[in-house]
Amino acid sequence: MKTITCDQFHHFLYSIREDFEIVGPVILHDGTLSLGRLTAEPLALFAGRIPFRFTSLFFPHSERLFAMSDEYRFDKSGSSAKPLLVVGWRAEDLEALEFIDEFFRTGFRDDVFCDRRQSSVVIGVSGRCGVNGEFCRISEGKCDMELIYDGKHFIMAEYTENGRFLSEKIVWGEETDSLEALLQESRALRTPEREILQTASQLLMRNQVDDDFWAEIADRCIQCTSCTNVCPTCTCFDVYDMRLKRKIERYRMWDSCQMSGFMREASGHNPLASQSDRTRRRIRHKLVDDLHRWGRMTCFLCGRCDDVCPTGIGMKAVAAEIVERFG
Amino acid sequence: MVSCFEKKQYSERGNCDCFHFGVFMDSRIGHAAYEPAIYSIHSISDLTPHEKLFRIEIPDAVDFRHEPGQFVQLSVWGWGEAPISISNSPTRKGYLEFAIRHAGSLTGALHQMRPGSKIGLRGPFGNGFDVNRLRSQNLLLIAGGCGLAPLRSLIQYCEDCRDEFMDIRILYGAKTPHDLLYKSDLAAWMESETFDCRIIVDFVAPNHGYSGKIGLLPELIPPLEVEAENTTAVLVGPPMMYPFVVEALRKKGLDDERIMVSLERHMKCGIGKCGHCAIDHFSCCIDGPVFLLRDLQGTEWAG
Repeated sequence: MKTITCDQFHHFLYSIREDFEIVGPVILHDGTLSLGRLTAEPLALFAGRIPFRFTSLFFPHSERLFAMSDEYRFDKSGSSAKPLLVVGWRAEDLEALEFIDEFFRTGFRDDVFCDRRQSSVVIGVSGRCGVNGEFCRISEGKCDMELIYDGKHFIMAEYTENGRFLSEKIVWGEETDSLEALLQESRALRTPEREILQTASQLLMRNQVDDDFWAEIADRCIQCTSCTNVCPTCTCFDVYDMRLKRKIERYRMWDSCQMSGFMREASGHNPLASQSDRTRRRIRHKLVDDLHRWGRMTCFLCGRCDDVCPTGIGMKAVAAEIVERFG
Repeated sequence: MVSCFEKKQYSERGNCDCFHFGVFMDSRIGHAAYEPAIYSIHSISDLTPHEKLFRIEIPDAVDFRHEPGQFVQLSVWGWGEAPISISNSPTRKGYLEFAIRHAGSLTGALHQMRPGSKIGLRGPFGNGFDVNRLRSQNLLLIAGGCGLAPLRSLIQYCEDCRDEFMDIRILYGAKTPHDLLYKSDLAAWMESETFDCRIIVDFVAPNHGYSGKIGLLPELIPPLEVEAENTTAVLVGPPMMYPFVVEALRKKGLDDERIMVSLERHMKCGIGKCGHCAIDHFSCCIDGPVFLLRDLQGTEWAG
């Protein structure tokens, strides 16, 4: 495996700017950490977790499904955008990406997502790359290449052909075999939050969480939908048409199960009529329903919903409360 | 835990039909995942003051195959897309019929259309009524209100393949005599020896002249003689109808393996992605809309 310094890595990124649209964590002029294109400023790879969905790069907030002229012809003019190269995925983000890849590919293939995803390159960042040098779990896969920071250098682990292709283009760096110690450190990281989540999942599955609990949590919800907006495994969307001059365009846009009209039908029937039902669904969906359907829970403990919820009822908080009260 | 894709636990024939997209792709219309195929409306007729029947002709060259109880995603340009049940049996080829209530903006725009207007279709989607499970059975086909629209596809199928089934009883309830869908079909089914067709309406305006039964749909069930061991019931109707009808059927000895329900949800994509029709771990659009009641145990299906 090669090692490379942060500067060298950025030199490399600049050298392939013509071939790829390079996106990663950036610090905006007001100090906000965000996702953005590579500019003259280096990417903020050590600035912590980006507060919104990394997966939005492949499943954006709003996107066109198709355009059709008033002569009922589909506009087939494809986008000539360069393939996307995204740097900075943390292990939890990569787990979320792995899930939504499977979600959109299984059964009916969602070609809008898959076409965008297919040509992309994903580079994870782990190791001692936390804000204060704390250790971030090593993903050990789920991406094309992982940059594992040992405190001085990135050690490059390539997991796919795309990863190896990029690695071969990097002319700097020394060979190293010092990854083993970092891997051991990563595997030894304690994950008490995961245990809490698993316990909460089991309690929910055994129907040990009563309706009063959900009513109480729902009372604290202000329906801002921040939780579903930042969640990297939320995939719900609504579909709408835009009427433009001589054509219509059909779009999809993220939707939130926390909104009262999410499931309401034209007849007035609403299977998620109360906020209590909706709050219950938000938690159960990730901890129980997806476990049934996909064989795994789909909360990977990235913590974004907890960070963003103004009333303290993100996933970790609710799971902890479930375990405390019913465990 | 093993994913239920692997277990194929939803229904015996495997709802996973729909997970082998390639196999069924040939008989679907629409391109890519979200692009509909474009069709002209062939004819429109009034069914009730609120519902119209739209007919689309399918050219011979299009290999469109559907099961009774499946639905399509119907596009009205500029208004979006809505899930609409196919109302005719696959045995009646060359056309598709949709009974559509004016309920919202999209269906409102559709009601303004004329023959020749262009609409978009994707589908068919979902699991229909499992005809294999219904064969050689006495059937209780129960519809409330608009539920007759999808059930009509099964009734026509039974009519065309009469020998495959034993006694067939149709129970249909609507709010008022005006709201009865497919009045001429109902009259024919009531006259026919093929079916025992019974109708009930919730209330009748004074001096209407309606001479049929007045009451709620579940009231039609207790007087029936039902051989529970070889009878299967099929239910389609508004959500509030289900608990009462299911209770009446259970009293007749039908267990959850002998009750099939078609559920109403607002599918936005039809292909299991948008999340709007989720019922716990099921997506109504790909795992339903028709379920065996047994498979829904423990879920919030009646919500």
